[in-house]
Amino acid sequence: MRSISLIFKQFSKTVLLLACFTVWGISAKAQGDPAKGEAIFKANCTSCHKIDSRMTGPALGPVISSETDDKWLASWIRNNQALIAAKDPKALKIWNEYSQASMSVFTQLSDDDIANVIAYVRADWKKIQDDQKKAAPAAGAVAEDKGPSDLAVYALIGVIVVALIIILVLNNIIATLERLIGGQRLLPVEAEITESEVAADKYALLKRILKNKKLVFFIIFAGTIAMCSWGWVALWNTNVHQGYQPVQPIKFPHDLHAGVMQIQCQYCHSGAYKSKNASIPSLNVCMNCHKTVKTESLEIHKIYDALGYDPQTQKYDSLKARPIQWIRIHNLPDFAYFNHSQHVKVGGIKCQQCHGPVETMKEVYQYSPLTMKWCIQCHKRTDINMKGNAYYENMIAVHDLIKKGVKVTPAQLGGIECGKCHY
Amino acid sequence: MDSNKKYWKGLEELNKTPEFVEKNKHEFAEPIPIEDVLSGDGLLGKTPRRDFLKAVGFGVGAVTLAACQKVPVHKSIPYLIKPEEVTPGVANYYSSTYEGHAILVKTREGRPIKVEGNPNDLLAKGGLSAQAQSSVLDLYDVSRVQAPLVNGEGKAWNEVDDYVKLELAKIQDSGKKIAIISSSISSPSTLAVIADFITAHPTAKHIMYDAVSYTGIIQANQNSFGKAVLPHYNFDKADVIVSFGADFLSTWISGEEFTRQYVSNRNNKSLQSKKMSRHIQFETGMSLTGTNADVRIPLKPSEEGVALINLYNAITGTTLPGTKKLADNAANNAITIAAKELAAAKGKALVVAGSNDVATQTLVNAINAALGSYGTTIDLDNNSNQYKGNDADLAAFIGDAKKGDIAAVLFLDANPVYDYYNTKEITEALAKVPLKISFNTSLDETAALATVVAPNHHYLESWGDDSAIAGYYTVMQPTINPVYNTRQAEESLLIWSSSATKTYYDYVRNNWDKNILAMGGLSGQKGWETLLQTGFVHVAAKTAGAYSFSKDLNAVAQTILTQSTSLVAGDKAYELHLYQSSAIRDGKHANNPWLQELPDPVSKVTWDNFAAMSLTDLKALNLQEGDVITIDANGTSIALPVLLQPGQAEGTISVAVGYGRAKGGAVIESGIGKNAYPLYSFRNGTVQGSAVAKISATGDQIILAQTQTHHSYEGRNVIRDASFTEYKKNPYVNSGKDGEHKDYKSLWENYDRPTYNWVMAIDLNACTGCGACVVACNAENNVPVVGRDEVRRRREMHWIRIDRYYTFNDEQGKGVTEEHEIDKLKNINNVSVVHQPMLCQHCDHAPCETVCPVLATVHSSEGLNHMAYNRCVGTRYCANNCPFKVRRFNWFNYWNDSRFENYLAEQHTQLVLNPDVVTRFRGVMEKCSMCIQRIQAGKLQAKMEKRPVKDGDIKVACQQTCSANAIVFGNGNDPESEVSKALRSERTYYVLEELNVQPGIGYQVKVRNTNELEA
Repeated sequence: MRSISLIFKQFSKTVLLLACFTVWGISAKAQGDPAKGEAIFKANCTSCHKIDSRMTGPALGPVISSETDDKWLASWIRNNQALIAAKDPKALKIWNEYSQASMSVFTQLSDDDIANVIAYVRADWKKIQDDQKKAAPAAGAVAEDKGPSDLAVYALIGVIVVALIIILVLNNIIATLERLIGGQRLLPVEAEITESEVAADKYALLKRILKNKKLVFFIIFAGTIAMCSWGWVALWNTNVHQGYQPVQPIKFPHDLHAGVMQIQCQYCHSGAYKSKNASIPSLNVCMNCHKTVKTESLEIHKIYDALGYDPQTQKYDSLKARPIQWIRIHNLPDFAYFNHSQHVKVGGIKCQQCHGPVETMKEVYQYSPLTMKWCIQCHKRTDINMKGNAYYENMIAVHDLIKKGVKVTPAQLGGIECGKCHY
Repeated sequence: MDSNKKYWKGLEELNKTPEFVEKNKHEFAEPIPIEDVLSGDGLLGKTPRRDFLKAVGFGVGAVTLAACQKVPVHKSIPYLIKPEEVTPGVANYYSSTYEGHAILVKTREGRPIKVEGNPNDLLAKGGLSAQAQSSVLDLYDVSRVQAPLVNGEGKAWNEVDDYVKLELAKIQDSGKKIAIISSSISSPSTLAVIADFITAHPTAKHIMYDAVSYTGIIQANQNSFGKAVLPHYNFDKADVIVSFGADFLSTWISGEEFTRQYVSNRNNKSLQSKKMSRHIQFETGMSLTGTNADVRIPLKPSEEGVALINLYNAITGTTLPGTKKLADNAANNAITIAAKELAAAKGKALVVAGSNDVATQTLVNAINAALGSYGTTIDLDNNSNQYKGNDADLAAFIGDAKKGDIAAVLFLDANPVYDYYNTKEITEALAKVPLKISFNTSLDETAALATVVAPNHHYLESWGDDSAIAGYYTVMQPTINPVYNTRQAEESLLIWSSSATKTYYDYVRNNWDKNILAMGGLSGQKGWETLLQTGFVHVAAKTAGAYSFSKDLNAVAQTILTQSTSLVAGDKAYELHLYQSSAIRDGKHANNPWLQELPDPVSKVTWDNFAAMSLTDLKALNLQEGDVITIDANGTSIALPVLLQPGQAEGTISVAVGYGRAKGGAVIESGIGKNAYPLYSFRNGTVQGSAVAKISATGDQIILAQTQTHHSYEGRNVIRDASFTEYKKNPYVNSGKDGEHKDYKSLWENYDRPTYNWVMAIDLNACTGCGACVVACNAENNVPVVGRDEVRRRREMHWIRIDRYYTFNDEQGKGVTEEHEIDKLKNINNVSVVHQPMLCQHCDHAPCETVCPVLATVHSSEGLNHMAYNRCVGTRYCANNCPFKVRRFNWFNYWNDSRFENYLAEQHTQLVLNPDVVTRFRGVMEKCSMCIQRIQAGKLQAKMEKRPVKDGDIKVACQQTCSANAIVFGNGNDPESEVSKALRSERTYYVLEELNVQPGIGYQVKVRNTNELEA
């Protein structure tokens, strides 16, 4: 009998399990497939929605998770306009909340598709929330990891100072002790050697060296040359800040933007083509992308703070706005006139020629020395880009130079005269 | 043949006074104390070795320490949200209007830095006055009222509004009068706002008056033709112009417009077609217009009326009762000749008078009517709106106020406490007005007495419009956000009259939409936007009617004669003549350091007014130039230094108004000149600027900051002129080109100029000497202001100066050529004047370049003489070696030195600087660069647009602002360019050609229309 009951038990378990799996499977089907939903979501929704934050439309995670009426959700997603037209109260509320901006209509989506999307959104939102919970306690640790605090630095300095003092004191004691011991043992020995002999021994080598006039001359000569060349280089490099790489208020990675993302320089530095200033982009240029891209980044939030922008409400508050004080790297003196458009638009020079491989720089540094010598060298060596530019076509001087077979450089056309840059 | 006529800048040069000779030995006023060093201990003294080592050690240490300074961190702060139209580094131009001229305002990064004439401006075709050029500096004036005041306390605008509205309501209930006192307003929208205010407050009355009034002309036109307007004059249609004291090329009505018109009959183009107008000037003091006249006759104020009566008689052949001859025979002759020439040029003749006397102007109307001027040279139907003031209205207001009838007075762009002739009366009258509101931008003499100061915007911050001539409407648009907490006066008036239109912008829009846009064939938003680009609407002018004069002149002549008699000065008295100086005008712009430092075109005095007298009178009184005299007239007296003015009518004194302001800014309050307005008097219903004055010497002496002899050529001949008769016979006359042109051998190799050769041509016959170019250059090139004391030390920094030369004419009107002849001259006041703009000549063989030890000044392949400031070490050899004396040394760091803080050292004021031109530091030389920043910008523009540089693309600042088009600039390598054509003119000569420095600037011989009939 025992075996029967066992068999029965086994059977009922199997049945129950099967039933459970079936129910699970059915219910899973009814709730939709998050994997399929993700594909549909990315194809149709991401241009206006995000799961965790508001974009053009509401943040879908909290909205869809809190809405229990899947049928209503489905009909809204498929055709929100119809719902609005039918004066559905819920629909009207959302419509008005988003200043009556209409959402696209997705009549092509099947019930299953919509269910999949809803499932994906709910699952993803849950995941995000769980991550946040996990991250919350860790946040404190991260905050502390910002670098050594002032206290730590002072403590370290204090330890070093104390250690030094101890070393000095110990040294002193050792010296005293040695003197004491030495006083007892070595004094008689010392007395046997005359002082002059000790001194003679001490300076004997030096004296020998000093007597070698050739060597002395050589050392002085080499020293003078070294000092002079050092002075020469030091003077020439006074106020040359090649390699200057200050820390900027926002860690803007040029390597990511210009390198990985391949964004053209003039997208941000639009002045380079039409003005003397290449110009640092105003923050509204940043916002073209960063209204939606990487909105969670702390660095991006510095942009939001500067603009007085609230990513939640997407509103700007000009009273909170304050300018970003970038640190100027390329700093020509006032008495030198430089015009970007002349070089970039007319001359067709690549930005990198003067600014270096910006697309690989995590933090920008001054690549070129920006000295007058550097300017002049380029003006002497570079061919003028005159192809297709009627400005140069009728210039007799240019024709003469070409006839002579001479390279036409800016210098040939007066590009190294004082007044071309100094006025 | 080279002319050997004698030209001189001042009598000190002519007489070679010891001071003059001594001063001119040196390049700079204070010589370098080399002699002291050499003769004293100097080089002979022994320096102990230890002292030497100490000095070296200290020097090295100090330099090392100084060098240890950390490199400053430069911040770069971009826009948060960049306005779409702004590109940092690129200038934007906005059309606007200044005193009825259509203008373009150049802004950089949102701040206006330069004002330029709109090339399509009807009045001056792109030319602008020195005042307009300098107006941009007033925007950044720190002494503007920065917030509204009630009883001297700073208040918010809504508090001001509440207070004023309450007071106005009280006044309305009491039925007392309100007066709005303004200078002439020609803006249609402002007038409409005032009309609306009057509708809301029916007891209000709008009173227009002008510091220097034109009531006489307006009244005379009312009496003669029933039209109380200022006519529009067409000097371009006049072949013969006779002016009685009207300074029409400068201060009279519309100087820039008249300059353009006048010069069109005297410039190169006109001379090429053998045509030149004739201009005879009768006047007391030497005015800018007088210096340009073909014939100039000094005339006392008391003789002006008599002369006009004689002229009328001679033209019409009648004899008015009481006619008498003038005392001076030459003047009598001149009247006869003028009458003959005017009559011969009927329909193309014009007589103008500067007098504000109704009777005198009525007589002028009669003369013009007899000459058929109406409908041709004078247009009464398209009248001028520039001046509308009525002197009697202000006098009536004072009467009412004294009686206590006026409860409130509003001052809009008016400062009567300063410029009304009777200061005592107006102050007493205002004391009886309980509510005084001033819209003035600075705390001037009137605003200081006001209960409420509601500061107006500067015009560059304002919306608005203007209409200088009937049918010509210009629009004003803001080019910057208000710099201070100010509000446009019109907006205040709208608010106080509880208008439905809240902002003045809407008001202007509505007004234009309703009344003006349609006249220009525009409508709606698109039309408005087009207007903001073009800047104006011009309705086709009405046909000017020919008016005939039919009034009785006997009474008029009687009035004139009575007045003349009353002006005849007795023994030891002088006839006083008040005038506006070319730079400061009526005194509204007195706080502008650019204008204060602009030398007066005639006297070359800066930073002061003075009493101009003739040499004969000075000798008789035993006075020296600079002696302070007291001038006593009309019950008041002022003390001014005497100035010797060649050409001044004997027995007269000329004094400029506009000086001696008491309040309204740091520059003003530093004390500049004396106020001459109280010397005006009220006669025959108008305020008049002539009187009998007694003078007495105070014994004090003032050194005037006069630039006339600062830059001497040591008597070398730089001016060439000819008479029109000679010119017609031989166009090459006196230009040195007629066959005897010398070919000088050159010591230097010639420079190649393969691409461009930037050269300039200056027509001495077109240049009137007004000085607008000087201010334009200041604004464009960041030229510092140095102040009175530094000008006295010959340290003014202007890159372009206008040299004024006198020559004597003998009895036959011929120029005096030999020095010894001068002593024999009977009438030493019969002088002719030539103005010569002088700037760096950009010599091809520049003497400055060869002496610079550090190659800071070098020649370019484009024909320019470059100056690299950062390379200059300040030896000043170049200035010593420059034959034209155009190089300027920075004695101080004018931009950051407390001694100059009233001028441009103020940080806020420095927002006016042109960011494309560097400011120069102490110890370097500077000079005209031919606006190289504009040349470079023009070339770059062409390169970017992939086209060659077109002639006229690049205009230098002085050329751009010249209403007379006297300056032409361009590429000398292009034979078809305007400048090449101008330089090919027969009249072209080069200054100091004989030095063979080969200047890049060619001048064209001055031609005077003096003919055989000459007086």
